[in-house]
Amino acid sequence: MVTNTSNGGASSLGLRKPRRFDPNDKRIIPGLLITPVQILLIVMLIFPFVLEFVISLTEWQPIYGDFWDAFNSVFTQKINQGISYNYLVTDEPRYLQALGRTVIMSVISLCLEFVIGLGLASLFLKKFWGKRVWFTALLTPMMIMPVVVGYTWFMLFQYNGPINQVFGWIAFSPVNFKWLNDATLAFIAVIVTEVWHWTPLFFLIMLSGLNAVPENPIRAATVLGASNFKIFWTIILPNMKAVIIIAFVIRGMEVVKLFDEIYLLTRGGPGTATETISLYLYKLAFEDFRLAYAGSAAFIVLIITVVLINMMLKPIRYQLVEGR
Amino acid sequence: MAKIKLELVNLRKEFGELVAVNDVSIAIEEGETMALLGPSGCGKTTILNMVVGLETPTGGDILIDGQSVLKVPPGDRNVGLVFQDYAVFTHMTVRRNLAYGLKIRKMKQPEIDREVSKVAEFLSISHQLDHKPSELGASELQRVAIGRTLVTNPEILLLDEPLSNLEAAMRNQMRRELRRIQADTGQTIIYVTHDQIEALSLAHRIAVMDFGSLHQYDTAHNVYQYPANRFVGSFLGNPPMNFLKGKLTEDGGKRIVTSGDSTIPLPAGKLGSDVSVGSDVVVGVRPESLNLAAADDPGRFSVPILAVEPQGPETVVTASFGDSTFKVIVPTGTDAVEGSSISLAPESDLVALFDAESGVRLLDSGERR
Repeated sequence: MVTNTSNGGASSLGLRKPRRFDPNDKRIIPGLLITPVQILLIVMLIFPFVLEFVISLTEWQPIYGDFWDAFNSVFTQKINQGISYNYLVTDEPRYLQALGRTVIMSVISLCLEFVIGLGLASLFLKKFWGKRVWFTALLTPMMIMPVVVGYTWFMLFQYNGPINQVFGWIAFSPVNFKWLNDATLAFIAVIVTEVWHWTPLFFLIMLSGLNAVPENPIRAATVLGASNFKIFWTIILPNMKAVIIIAFVIRGMEVVKLFDEIYLLTRGGPGTATETISLYLYKLAFEDFRLAYAGSAAFIVLIITVVLINMMLKPIRYQLVEGR
Repeated sequence: MAKIKLELVNLRKEFGELVAVNDVSIAIEEGETMALLGPSGCGKTTILNMVVGLETPTGGDILIDGQSVLKVPPGDRNVGLVFQDYAVFTHMTVRRNLAYGLKIRKMKQPEIDREVSKVAEFLSISHQLDHKPSELGASELQRVAIGRTLVTNPEILLLDEPLSNLEAAMRNQMRRELRRIQADTGQTIIYVTHDQIEALSLAHRIAVMDFGSLHQYDTAHNVYQYPANRFVGSFLGNPPMNFLKGKLTEDGGKRIVTSGDSTIPLPAGKLGSDVSVGSDVVVGVRPESLNLAAADDPGRFSVPILAVEPQGPETVVTASFGDSTFKVIVPTGTDAVEGSSISLAPESDLVALFDAESGVRLLDSGERR
């Protein structure tokens, strides 16, 4: 007798195979069982997203009446399709300026936060007096609510506030910087506030990154005669690549959303000197009620952010996904 | 005597209360391989770190070619260290790993390329030059680590437990490889290990350490055959040295050690000053230096057999000597039965006598090599 070994002994003995879940089974029940969750996900995640995209294609504002008419117009009146996109990119310098300003502000703040954070973290590799107290003190700013931070620095940056006073003491003559009323100074003030608020996060991430750098390669480089500077550039920084990129990604996603501090400090002013993309969107949507228009503006930001973040992740993507 | 390359003078290192290295003095000749042997945590690696400059000694001095190097920074001592975990730079290719030390020495690129390919060929890793360390096996990583140091042409090469991270088969291969490197380059090598077989097979001289103290520093042969104390005797050899407790007595002008009904004769030689007839002593004798005695052997002694374990061509016989038990290796087929007795004769002068309390060697016998 030829036994079909691949089928196991069960069929030859006339026994039925035990019933259990078979991933190749095309029966509908497993599919049905996960359907409610799928629907829930679609309703909660994808539907609003699609709806928002559709709105962004129209010119709808609440005062125009029911949305559904406007919605239909997307399909009937071809003229209106994507009109706000076209307008935003070609004819609205304020939007493009806000975008550019956000990018410049983000890059400057992140670089400052990174350099200061890494510097502070390097200091913490050595022993010094009061290290624990300093550690807690350095971390505190990031635990403060943005609104409080905004208010605090609003007060500090006043025309006759403490910062001007301290500068006055140093310069031995009264200093009257109009921090929040001068375009350049306001820009600096916003960056100072942002850097003060979020350097602690960089410090924390950099410190854990520095501590995770294996010690023996550093010692090996020392024995081979490398200077401290050389060791930092050729051994420590490359070993921290993933940590640094992840810190930039996390902070990058946060910093493009920068809103509350600026709102309290300058409201985007003077003029539009400190108007970031979030402030611009806010004004569009809640001061001008141009919802569809704000929707398109937001969509462009989303796409730029997704592309930029993925570009930043590219060098470590393989390492993270494959786990080596 | 050849030129002294490295000399440690009363080298001492304390970590707070702990004395990691306790006044160790060692001199190593040029072109020699010295093994620092001892159990984990005995201060071997601390000595390496001090020689290389990663740790500062609490006391004593380190001389290379007769010059103190205590004030010389690690990179300028021209001492190469291969780490136990290799410490290969994982973010660089093998080529850049090998070139690292040369780049720091500001060597020109064509020269670097030449030196790197030379050392890669010597260590048979030429085919891996453009690969990342994550693609390499353990023994190749080891070669990269050795190559990275060797390419800078160090005065002294220090190897910290180089074989402990390799599996058994690789270990034998790498041991041969290390012996080849040592022969071909004529490097002065200090080799840290806790494995006595590695030390015995690779080193000209062995320094046996325990708890930060140097117990014996001598040629591999002498350390094995003439241990300076009981610790050295027990640390080297497998099966370990037998230790037989007894009292030192004299019988017709010959020194013997007795315990209960058993006696063992001692070789002639100079006896330590603080030992006299009647003292408690321990006789140390290696299983392989006890032979079956011929009937007329003057040095023969008889002991009762406790157990017989045949192991193919050899048979391990466990016998008793007073309160102590010990093992002897005899050819299978020897007439040895549990309960009867066996007649043995120690090989000429390879019987060591230790103080029962301090474990210090008491009898100065035999010919050192």
